[in-house]
Amino acid sequence: MVIPLAVVVAALCVALAGWATWFVVADRAVVLRQLWGGAVVEGVLLVQAVVLAVVQATGSQDVDGVLLWGYVVTQLVILPVAAAWAFAERTRWSSVVLLVAALTVAFLEYRLLQIWGTV
Amino acid sequence: MTDPTAPRRRPTGTGAGRLLVAVYGVLALAATARGLYQVGTKLDEAPVAYVLSLVAGVVYLVATLALALDRRRLAWAAVGFELAGVLVVGLLSIVDVGDFPDETVWSRFGAGYGYVPLLLPFVGLWWLRRTGRPDVPAPADQSTVG
Repeated sequence: MVIPLAVVVAALCVALAGWATWFVVADRAVVLRQLWGGAVVEGVLLVQAVVLAVVQATGSQDVDGVLLWGYVVTQLVILPVAAAWAFAERTRWSSVVLLVAALTVAFLEYRLLQIWGTV
Repeated sequence: MTDPTAPRRRPTGTGAGRLLVAVYGVLALAATARGLYQVGTKLDEAPVAYVLSLVAGVVYLVATLALALDRRRLAWAAVGFELAGVLVVGLLSIVDVGDFPDETVWSRFGAGYGYVPLLLPFVGLWWLRRTGRPDVPAPADQSTVG
């Protein structure tokens, strides 16, 4: 359950990053529909947080809880803040910001899996 | 300050500055979270390194906010502090391993973060200098939307 969800999050983030890259190339600012895309990622991240909490509470998985939840919370914060920051700029740089944010969340997902799996 | 004849300076948080602030923000988040984790869970293992980790994170937060809000002097100070930090700690972490038994964001010149901590202060100072020149045309007023 944890790994498939992580794959979904990463795939969505890469898709969002691709969308943003296209906008950078086309010299366009972030549009509202991309923020909805970001909201979908946030939704999956929330589901992931619930699943992690349940698995951690019931399962035998031995993880560093503080570290894990540090990543979970950080991941949840990035897109909303970046989206607000990006949307205030009506140039292509807003798309660059969205691109960086989406890639960051994808990278954190990778780190999250490492933390989940290594201990 | 509001003299209309004075040349306008471009706010540091607009245009390409958006990206700079975003990258600073990510680094601030990463370094602060890591510092809090290290200080909160295992401070006694390497107090110097972990407190330094947290300080680095807080200064990144200050730099992010200063750049975002166009507080130039504060931004100069924070970005300058980071440049000094990454150079000094980077050097110390290579020369004398004993004092830095565990990683901070500045260790080995920020290698753990893709050398972004080393690169960013230079970009930040360049951007502050560039936007500080009064002959740079201010962005169109549409940038203030939202």
